[in-house]
Amino acid sequence: MSRLYGDPIEVWVRDGQPVRFVWRDRLYVVRQILDHWVVAREWWKTSATDPGERRFWRVEAQSGTYELRYDTATDAWLLLRAWD
Amino acid sequence: MGPFQHLHVASAYSLRYGSAFPPALVARAAEHGMDALALTDRDGLYGAIKHVRACHAAGIGAVVGVDLAMSDEDDRIVVLAKRDGWADLCRLVTAAHYAGDRGQPRVTMDLVGRHAADGRLIVLLGPRSEVGRAVAARRDQQARDLLQRWRAAVPGTAVEIVDLYGYRDVNTATHLLALADSLGLPAILTNAVRHLDPADYQVGNVLDAARKLVPLHGRHVESSSHAYLKNAEEMGRVALRVCGGDRARATRLLGVTRRAAEACVLDPVEVVPLIDEVDPRLHLPEIGGDPIPLLRHRCEDGLLDRGLNRSREARERLAAELAIIEKKRLSGYFVAVAGITDMIRGMGIRCAIRGSGAGSLVNYLIKIGEVNPLDHGLLMERFLSEGRVGLPDIDVDVESARRLDCYRAILDRYGESRVACVSMMETYRARSAIRDVGAAMGLPPHEIDAIAKAFPHVRAKQIRAALDDLPELRDSGLNDRALETVFRLAERLDGLPRHIALHPCGVLVGNTGLRGRTPVERSLLEFPMSQFDKDDVEDAGLLKLDVLGVRMQSALAYALTEIKRVDDADVALDEVPHDDAATYDMVRESRTIGCFQIESPGQRELVAKLEPRTMHDLIVDISLFRPGPVNSDMVTPYLESRHGFRAAVYPHAELRAALAETNGVVVFHEQVLRIVDVMTGCGLSEAEKVRRSLSSPDGRTRVRAWWEMNVRPEFDAATVEATWRVLDAFGAFGFCKAHAAAFALPTYQSAWLKRHHTAAFFAGVLTHEPGMYPNRVILDEARQCGVEVLPLDVNRSARDWRVEKVGPPSSDPPLFGQGYGLRVPFSAIKGISEAEVERMIAGQPYVSMADFWERARPSRPVAEHVIEVGGLDAVHGLRPGEPRWRPGRLTRRDLMAQVGALDRAGGQGSGQLPMAFADHVAPGELPEMSEAEAVEAELSVLGMDVTRHVIAFHDDFLDALGVVRARDLLRQRNGAEILVAGVKVATQTPAVRSGQRVIFTTLDDSTGPVDLTFFESVQAHTAATVFGSWLMVARGVIRRTGRRGISMRALHAWNLTDLDRVWRTRGIEAVREILADRPEEGRGVIGGKKITYENGYELSPYADLGVKEPQRVLWHASMGSSGKVA
Repeated sequence: MSRLYGDPIEVWVRDGQPVRFVWRDRLYVVRQILDHWVVAREWWKTSATDPGERRFWRVEAQSGTYELRYDTATDAWLLLRAWD
Repeated sequence: MGPFQHLHVASAYSLRYGSAFPPALVARAAEHGMDALALTDRDGLYGAIKHVRACHAAGIGAVVGVDLAMSDEDDRIVVLAKRDGWADLCRLVTAAHYAGDRGQPRVTMDLVGRHAADGRLIVLLGPRSEVGRAVAARRDQQARDLLQRWRAAVPGTAVEIVDLYGYRDVNTATHLLALADSLGLPAILTNAVRHLDPADYQVGNVLDAARKLVPLHGRHVESSSHAYLKNAEEMGRVALRVCGGDRARATRLLGVTRRAAEACVLDPVEVVPLIDEVDPRLHLPEIGGDPIPLLRHRCEDGLLDRGLNRSREARERLAAELAIIEKKRLSGYFVAVAGITDMIRGMGIRCAIRGSGAGSLVNYLIKIGEVNPLDHGLLMERFLSEGRVGLPDIDVDVESARRLDCYRAILDRYGESRVACVSMMETYRARSAIRDVGAAMGLPPHEIDAIAKAFPHVRAKQIRAALDDLPELRDSGLNDRALETVFRLAERLDGLPRHIALHPCGVLVGNTGLRGRTPVERSLLEFPMSQFDKDDVEDAGLLKLDVLGVRMQSALAYALTEIKRVDDADVALDEVPHDDAATYDMVRESRTIGCFQIESPGQRELVAKLEPRTMHDLIVDISLFRPGPVNSDMVTPYLESRHGFRAAVYPHAELRAALAETNGVVVFHEQVLRIVDVMTGCGLSEAEKVRRSLSSPDGRTRVRAWWEMNVRPEFDAATVEATWRVLDAFGAFGFCKAHAAAFALPTYQSAWLKRHHTAAFFAGVLTHEPGMYPNRVILDEARQCGVEVLPLDVNRSARDWRVEKVGPPSSDPPLFGQGYGLRVPFSAIKGISEAEVERMIAGQPYVSMADFWERARPSRPVAEHVIEVGGLDAVHGLRPGEPRWRPGRLTRRDLMAQVGALDRAGGQGSGQLPMAFADHVAPGELPEMSEAEAVEAELSVLGMDVTRHVIAFHDDFLDALGVVRARDLLRQRNGAEILVAGVKVATQTPAVRSGQRVIFTTLDDSTGPVDLTFFESVQAHTAATVFGSWLMVARGVIRRTGRRGISMRALHAWNLTDLDRVWRTRGIEAVREILADRPEEGRGVIGGKKITYENGYELSPYADLGVKEPQRVLWHASMGSSGKVA
C-alpha cells in the first residue's frame, strides 16, 4: 500500500541522481533507483514562458520505496508517495 | 567515449511533427563531433537532398531513411537505406504512397519485405512499432512472434531502443533489449529526435494538436521534451539506463549502433549528383535514338524553316550553342522538350516560351519558342553557359485552362514511370500559423478567422512586430494580453512546412530509372509528384521543363474563338504585325486595364511617360518596371534621354555598343554581361558567372576584388568605379531581356486585341480573369470602351461571357468597342453548380419562370439569384425601378415568392407538377426592386454592378461635395488639392525605393481610375479606412508626371457610405466639418526595421515580396495589405 504525501523535502544529488534525502526529520539513504521519468508541464495553462519540467524518481531506501519529484521551474523537491 | 550516431531523426519536413531544418540538425551534429547523422522524416524524403548536401558540406556521413506508418498512424517503423540502398528506399516510399490514401502512406510487412529483399534496407522496430507496443503491454510472446516474422520478411531487421524519460519508457526499452538479445537480433539505440533543443517541445505540442486537429491537452500531446538531438555524453547516459547500469552491455549497444550507421552512410554524389560540379551524373530523358545527330538535324531544318540558312550570324551562333549543349550532354533534353511543345501546339493549345530560354537560338530553330534571339540581341549565356553549374530549364507558358491537359498528354506520351511533377512545400506564415495555434488553444473558429484575416500576408515571425508597427493593427484591440500566447506560439511556427503541393509548373521528364532517383507521391489531382522541390530536383540531376499555365493565354484563346463565332473572322494572332499605330496610341493613353503586364497603376503611369511605339519599347518598359531598375534609379535618366531632355551618357566609348539600345542606361542582364565582357575580355560565359555571384553579399565582395584585378588597363579609374556602382546596384535584381522579350509578345497581342476586337478581348479577360483587377473593374473598363454590358438572360446567357452584336460597329477612339455587348454568363452566379449550368444551357429557350424551374431544375437559392439579377426580366417583361407598386403587373419579387411556392410544392424535376398551377402568378402582389436594390443584388450575386455603376447612387452627394471625377483629373493643375471618390479597386504595398511602406490604392468612379498614393506620414489616420472600406472619399494633391501621366498623393480618406449617411441625416455642413479634419502628418508611423540590402537599397518589411494569391473578391489586395480589422 502506498500513501500520498506531497511534503517538501531536502535532497542531496550526485551525478544528477538523488542519493540522500531528509523527510520528517529523518535521513534516508538511497540504495537503488527503481525508476525515473520526466513529465513536461502543461505550459499552455501557465503564463510563464518556461514552465520547466517535473522529474520523478522512484527509489528504494531503508524501510521502503519512495517517490520523489523535482520541479525544475521552482527548484524544489517533494516527497510524493511512500510504500512501506 | 566515441561519437554517437543518431539514426532516427525527424526534421521539419516531417509535416506538423518535427521542428528543426536539416542544415540546423547537421550543424548541431557536427558541433557535437558526430561523424554521421541520419534523416528519417515521416512519410517521405522531402528533406533528403538538403540533408545530404548539408552533411557533405559539414564533412559528416549522411544517412537517409524514412519513418513510415503501418496499419494505422500510431504504428510506425523506421526504414534506413544502406550504402547502396537509395534507389530501393525511393521506390519503397513511392509504393507506400500509392498503397495508402492520398497523403496517408501505409506499408505492410510484405511491401517492405519486397523492397528490402536485396538486403539494401534496414528496418528498425522500436517502441512505436507493433512490437514495441506488445512489449509495453507485456504481451511478450506476441512481440517475439512478430519479430520472428519480420526477420523472415526483411533480412536487415533490427530492434530500436528508445528512452525519452517518459513514464515506463525505460522499462519498455529494457524489455525490448532483452528480447533482441534472446532472438539474436541487433539492437540499435536512437533518440527518436524531433527537435534541436529541449525547449522546442512546446512547438512540438502545438504541432501535435494541429496534426491531430484537437485542442492542446495533456491527453493529446506527445511528450517530446527529451526528443532532441542529444550529445554523445547524454546518449551514453541513456544507454546505461536502458542497460540497467550494465556498462559492458551499454558499450555493445553503442557499438552496434555505430556499425549500423557505418553501413548506411551514402555516397553523396549518388543522391545529389550536382555536388560533382565538373561532370554531374545527369538523369536524361529517353528519346529513342542518338540525341546528338537528332538535335543537329532538327536545327538544320529549323534554319531553313525560319529563313536563316543563309545567315552567317545564325550559323555561327548555332555552332557555338550546339558546342555547349553537346559538351554538357544535353541534346536529348532539347529534343524531348521540342517534342513536348510540338505536341502541345498539336492539341490546339497556345504555347509561348518564357524566361531566359528565349535567348537561345536552338530553342527558336526547333520551335520551342517564337522569339528570335538575334532580332533582340539576346544572349544564350544567360540561359546556358559553360561556366554555369546547374541545369538549364526551359519554361513555356500555356493556356491556364488547359495546363493539366498538357500534363496528361506528357504523361501519356512518356509513361508514368518516366514523368513526375515537381512539388513545393507550403510553409507557415502569419495567417496560417494563427489559424493552427488558435485552434490548438481552443479559440472559436470565427474569432480565429477574424484575427488571421486582419494581418497582411507577412511571415509568422513578424506577427508581434506587425501589431506594433502597423497603425491599422495597433488600434485594433488585437494587442490584447489574452492573445499574447497565441501570437508567441504562432511566431514559433514561422517557416515550418505544413503542406506539400504541386508546383505550378515543373515537370520532370526522365527515363525508366526516374523512380529510383526520386520518391513520388500522388498530388490532389492524382498526378505523380516528386517529393523534391525545384531546387532539390536540380541538385538531384533531374532535368525539368516548366509548363506554366498563364491565364492571359487562355483569355487570348477565348477571345479568338469569340471573334470566330460572332464575326466569323479568323485572326492569326501570332502573325499580326508588331507596329500597329492604333494599338500603341491606346497604350500611350494608359488605357491598358486588362492588358498583360501593363495594367497596374504603376505601369499605367510608366507607359504614359515612356510612350512606347515599338516592340522594343515594350521590352524596355517591362524591364524597367522591376525593383532592380527602380533601385538603381534608371527610370528617370532613361526617360529623360529617350525624350531628348538630356543627351545619352556612356561611361566609356567602348560601352556604347552594349548600351545604345537603352540610351546609356543599364536595363537588362544581357547588358551587364556585355559590360563585364567588354571591360575585362573574360567572355560571356564567365561574365554570366560573375553576374550570378552579384546576388549574394559574399559574391559581391569576391566580384569587387575580381573586377579591380581584371579590368583592362585602357579603362580609367573613374570609369571602373562608375561601372562598378551600376553592376553592384544591379546585383540580385535587374531583368533578363530574353524574359522581357518573351513577355512583350503577349503584352502586345493583348493590347492589339483590346484595340481591335474589344468586346471579344474583354469576354476572354472576364472569363479567365488573368489580371490583378476584379471583374467589376474590367466590366467598367469595357463600358468606357463603348461595349454594352448585357444582363443575365436565361435565354441568351451561356456558360462563359459571350459577345453579342448590338448595333453598327465603330472602332473610333475612345469608344472603339461600340456595336458589341457582353452578356453576363450563368457561371457568374454565386453558388451555381456545374450541373446546373449545363441544364440551364441544355434547356434553352424557356417561355416562363415555371418552365425554367421545371426543366433547368436549379436549386432554390440559385433560382432566386437568377431572378434577383434580372435573368427572367426579358422572358416576363420586367423592369426594376419606379413605380415600385404595380398592381396587376408582375414583379421580380412576385417571381421570387413563386419560386418559394414551387419549392414547397416539392415538384421540382418530378414531372408531376401541373403547369397550370405553376404558372399561376399573382401579378403585382409584391413591390418591384428599386434600382439600388437591383445593383445591390448584382453585387452580392455576381460580384459586379451590371446595370449601373454603384457610385451612381452617390452622384448627388459627390456633386454637392464638389468631388472631382477621374475624367476631369487631367484638367487639374499640378499641386492642386482636391477631393476624389470611388469604389476601391486595388490596394498594393509594393517594394519602393525609399524603404517606406507605401500604399497604392486605385479608386474607380465610373469615369476611370484614380490612383492614390498613401505615404507613411498619413497612414496613422488613413490605413484602417483604406484597408477596411470599399467606397471611399479621399483628399489628395495632384501630381503631374507627364503629358498624360497623373497621380495623387493622398492626405486623408473617409468611408463614403458613412459620409453619405451623415449627409442624409445631418446635412452637408456636418460632412464638411468631418472633412475639415486635418490630422498632423506623423513620422515613423510604420515601425519595423527596414530591410537593407548590401547596396544600400532599403525595403519596408511590409512590402510585397511574394507572389499574389488568387482570390475572388471585389477589389485586388496585394500580399502586403492588411485585411479588415474588426
